[in-house]
Amino acid sequence: MEPPADEPTATADNVPAPTVGPPADDETAVAVFEPPMPVEPPPAVGALAEALSRLRAAIGGAAYPLVMPSADEARRVGAALVSQLDDYLLPRLARLDAPLLVVVGGSTGAGKSTLVNSLVRAPVSATGVLRPTTRSAVLVSNPADLPWFRKGELLPGLIRTTDSTDDPRTLQLVAAPALAAGLALLDAPDIDSVVDRNRQLAAQLLAAADLWLFVTTAARYADAVPWELLTTARLRGTVIALVLNRVPPGAAGEISAHLGEMLAAHDMAAVPLFVLPETTLDGQGLLSEADIRPLHDWFAQLAADANARSAVVRQTLDGALAALGPAVDGLADAADDQALAARVLDERVSAAYRTAKRTVEQGLQDGRLLRGEVLARWQEFVGTGEFLRTLESRVGQLRDRLVAALTGRPAPGRSLQAALESQLVTLLCGVAADAAEQTYSAWQAHPAGAALLVPSLQKPSADLPQRADRMVRDWQLWVLDLVRAEAGDKRVVARGAAYAVNGLGLTVMIAVFTATAFIPTGVEVAVGAGTTVAAQKVLEAIFGDQAIRTLANRARDELLIRANLLLDAEAARYTDRTSAAGLDAEPGAGLRRAAADVENAREELALTAAAIAALPPGGTR
Amino acid sequence: MSLVDKVRGALVRDDGRVDAQQLIERLDALSRFLRLVDPYLPDGDLVAAHTLVERASGRLALSQDHTVVALAGSTGSGKSSLFNALARLKLSPVGVRRPTTGAAYACVWGPLEQANRLLDWVGVLPRQRFVRESALDGDDEAALRGLVLLDLPDFDSVERGHRLEVDRLLGLVDQVVWVVDPQKYGDRILHNAYLRQFRAHADITIVVLNQADRLSTADTDVVLTDLKHLLEEDGLPTAPVMATSAKQPGMLTELRETLEKTVAERQAALRRLSGDLDTVGEQLAGMMGPPAAEDEVDRATVRQLAEALAVSAGVPAVAEATGNAYRHRAAASTGWPVVRGLRRLRPDPLRRLHLDSAPPTTDVVPRTSVPEADAAQRSAVGLSVRAVAARAAAPLPAVWAPPLNAAARSRIADLPDALDRAVAKTDLGISRKPFWWRAVGLLQWAFVLAALAGLGWLITGYALRALGLPAVNYPKVGEAPIPTLLLLGGLALGFLFWLLLKPIVNWAARRAQRRAEQRLRAAITEVAREYVVAPVRDVLHAYAQAREALTAVRSE
Repeated sequence: MEPPADEPTATADNVPAPTVGPPADDETAVAVFEPPMPVEPPPAVGALAEALSRLRAAIGGAAYPLVMPSADEARRVGAALVSQLDDYLLPRLARLDAPLLVVVGGSTGAGKSTLVNSLVRAPVSATGVLRPTTRSAVLVSNPADLPWFRKGELLPGLIRTTDSTDDPRTLQLVAAPALAAGLALLDAPDIDSVVDRNRQLAAQLLAAADLWLFVTTAARYADAVPWELLTTARLRGTVIALVLNRVPPGAAGEISAHLGEMLAAHDMAAVPLFVLPETTLDGQGLLSEADIRPLHDWFAQLAADANARSAVVRQTLDGALAALGPAVDGLADAADDQALAARVLDERVSAAYRTAKRTVEQGLQDGRLLRGEVLARWQEFVGTGEFLRTLESRVGQLRDRLVAALTGRPAPGRSLQAALESQLVTLLCGVAADAAEQTYSAWQAHPAGAALLVPSLQKPSADLPQRADRMVRDWQLWVLDLVRAEAGDKRVVARGAAYAVNGLGLTVMIAVFTATAFIPTGVEVAVGAGTTVAAQKVLEAIFGDQAIRTLANRARDELLIRANLLLDAEAARYTDRTSAAGLDAEPGAGLRRAAADVENAREELALTAAAIAALPPGGTR
Repeated sequence: MSLVDKVRGALVRDDGRVDAQQLIERLDALSRFLRLVDPYLPDGDLVAAHTLVERASGRLALSQDHTVVALAGSTGSGKSSLFNALARLKLSPVGVRRPTTGAAYACVWGPLEQANRLLDWVGVLPRQRFVRESALDGDDEAALRGLVLLDLPDFDSVERGHRLEVDRLLGLVDQVVWVVDPQKYGDRILHNAYLRQFRAHADITIVVLNQADRLSTADTDVVLTDLKHLLEEDGLPTAPVMATSAKQPGMLTELRETLEKTVAERQAALRRLSGDLDTVGEQLAGMMGPPAAEDEVDRATVRQLAEALAVSAGVPAVAEATGNAYRHRAAASTGWPVVRGLRRLRPDPLRRLHLDSAPPTTDVVPRTSVPEADAAQRSAVGLSVRAVAARAAAPLPAVWAPPLNAAARSRIADLPDALDRAVAKTDLGISRKPFWWRAVGLLQWAFVLAALAGLGWLITGYALRALGLPAVNYPKVGEAPIPTLLLLGGLALGFLFWLLLKPIVNWAARRAQRRAEQRLRAAITEVAREYVVAPVRDVLHAYAQAREALTAVRSE
């Protein structure tokens, strides 16, 4: 008795209600091998498969290295999507005519294995009182369908075996002639026991199901964990049937009514529900035939009706494909979050180091770096007291004294430079320490930043004083070179160069700091103004005003550039950590594009041309 | 293990009893610990300890003759059936709809009045409290007098509110009976979210495999063995495990006897709190390290800090100005009076810094004119302050580094003013004129007077001669007339005296400069101690005391 072809809506109506009466005598028809129906035009399927492969590559390529609230979830969802694509979507799309896979899932101790055994009337899956009982997947199918599952396109990650084992990486295949062809039962491990691996395997298997047979019990039906899974499945469009097992005598009415309310509240009122009583098992550990009959018959009908089966397959496949969009959207958001977090962290680093650079610039601008020791040394170096007066009137005499100082007493010159160095190094180390501390606390306030931090980042790098010292010395060398080069052109400089290039470099360096040190308060008037004018005048005498300004500015600019490079290297200790995550600017765009391609291809393929009541009506409500 | 420890171990072990007095002392130590560390450590790490202190003081203030025992378990495990069976009355609603019990029920063996305050504290609604005391019972229930049995809601159903209620109540009860059933005894939520959290409470934990009547005797043993194995993995290997059934009264005997023993001992509440204290003490132990001496901030670090502060406060400049001022003033007092006036044209170096007057004796100190610190000096101060914090934090657990750093920098904004005040208040030691200045000054004037006298005498003689009056015969010393000697000698001696005194004045000026610098540095070091080191010491002090308190918490 072949069901009428190509009219899935009609088939649903044609199937008799399985709840009452003897088993339908379709069972003879079930054994008839049904030739693969001509599937959809290959181009559309091919385009969809191609879009799915691209999506798989995009999901596989997306990384969530930064610790963000969304990252854990995204990693988990991403991994689940990849395995769903590999385990189910791609193989199922390649063979729409393959047998219908019914995954029997549910809580630990719900009686999944007993149910499977009872449906095929043979102890194919181990049962027992220990929780959890089943730790690896057992697939039961008609011998005719077995080769298809043995090929390993579906759930390629599981090793096929024929022996019973506890290894969660295996898929035990059992031939059961009692089961009609065209439909296979997969006994999955529990979803809520202490064994974590069970939960992962169950989720993987449930994602590969064409039809979920969800088993719960009178004691379990209000548990939170299964309802979370059921809601996920509904959102994904998976076809679900529910078994309420181990119902105590007399409680069936009240419990199934309550469960019906809960299903309706979760928008699953149409899900077939089978209620099985709590009974003693027979000698083989099976439920009695009378108890299991409604469910058995329902499966028999489904197996017999190729159109209904195909409709179930398509509905679940279509639902899974449609659910990819929102899921990938979530991934894309998480990926964008990552890029955004990296940008925010970088911005915090650069804000802190911008402040540091500004402090250095101001420290050099107001020239007061010189005020203390350097200024005192300068006075020693050029002379004190009447010097100032003499200078005003007799620059020539000053030159003599300067030359005498330079040639006769080189020691003050060198110590002046050393003081300059140590002041600059202290300044740089101080601002770098401030910036490091600021960055550290700014990052600590950010979840991704806190995860990237290591204690050493609290302080500037250990070799910073050495590097700062080296930087200042390099700059001094540069200033000497500059003076030497300038000396070539200018006539006045020629005379100055004769004194000693070293001394000139020193005076220019000092001019950098004294250029703006004229502050008319207290000691500044006496010391600052006097020596500033002194320095200016000395240098004016040697170089001429314009040349001094240019040289001083260039030396100052060069010093700032070098200081900024040093601070950039410090900032890189942080930014290297965000860039090590290797995030694109717009990581979510690729994912969204790939998901949109899949959605377009899915709509084009139109797996479910019209709304189909895919399942035979059933249930014992 | 020392002898004392052994003796103490033996004393504690004798019957596993918890001494109430000792428990109270440990709790006191814990609240002392919290008071000490509260300002410094992150709140998140102390929540458990605060909760415990509050809960323990609440519980200990209430009846210790009662033992609050909770029946906890998954939905459908038969908690309510067990509750009713133990009470031998139908008190808690039993049903097939899941979840059944939404709020806790309580049954009190003995008079309700005494237990009411306890139940108010636990938070069981008055209408859900029952009394198990009846004349009909005779002495059947006497052994359980003092038991307050709670029937908790489930923790694994779709009703999230139930789980919150269970979590709240589990924190308050004295003893927990975990009710599991053959279907659900391996559930993840039961083991991971609950039993593992009670690993420190094996002595107040009982696990019962309920609905054992559904299993054959052989299966019951198999399941019990598996359950014990799971409990071992949860860290509860010593918790008693027994099979029960609400339907077969005989299977309740063991549980009933265990409860009777618990009630008779009146120890569960203390054991519970003691176990909580152990857990909290264990958690807090990570925040405490080796003992930290309060003078952990060593001299070298303080000296470095004081040096940086001294430079930023302009101490070298002030000291130098002091030396110069000494010279200036000495010259004004002891210089050759002939050229002394020139000195007055130059300003006093200390006046430029507004430090010329004697240090103020009042609290209101005028601001000095010492120039403020430049960027490099501020950097140096920042680095040394950090070094103080880092040095103090080095031997301590990492969690103490931020509070120490914050303490070291807590008054950094006040530093510039404090430094200026210290400089202004320091007696630079040159406000008073030394006695020898006056002596020398007098001598110099004497020379000048001698010269003037000689001059006057000579002029008088010259005038007499010019007017043709009889010449004055100058007395002579040898060949030289005395007036000439007075004039030339006075000038020459004054000049020579001035020259001779110069090195002495310079030497004294250097001495004055050194002395001023020493005094200034001492004042600056005081500021460093008060503004940077003292806050750090406060934290170290709190650490040391907290460490002591925690040792008391963890002593058993």
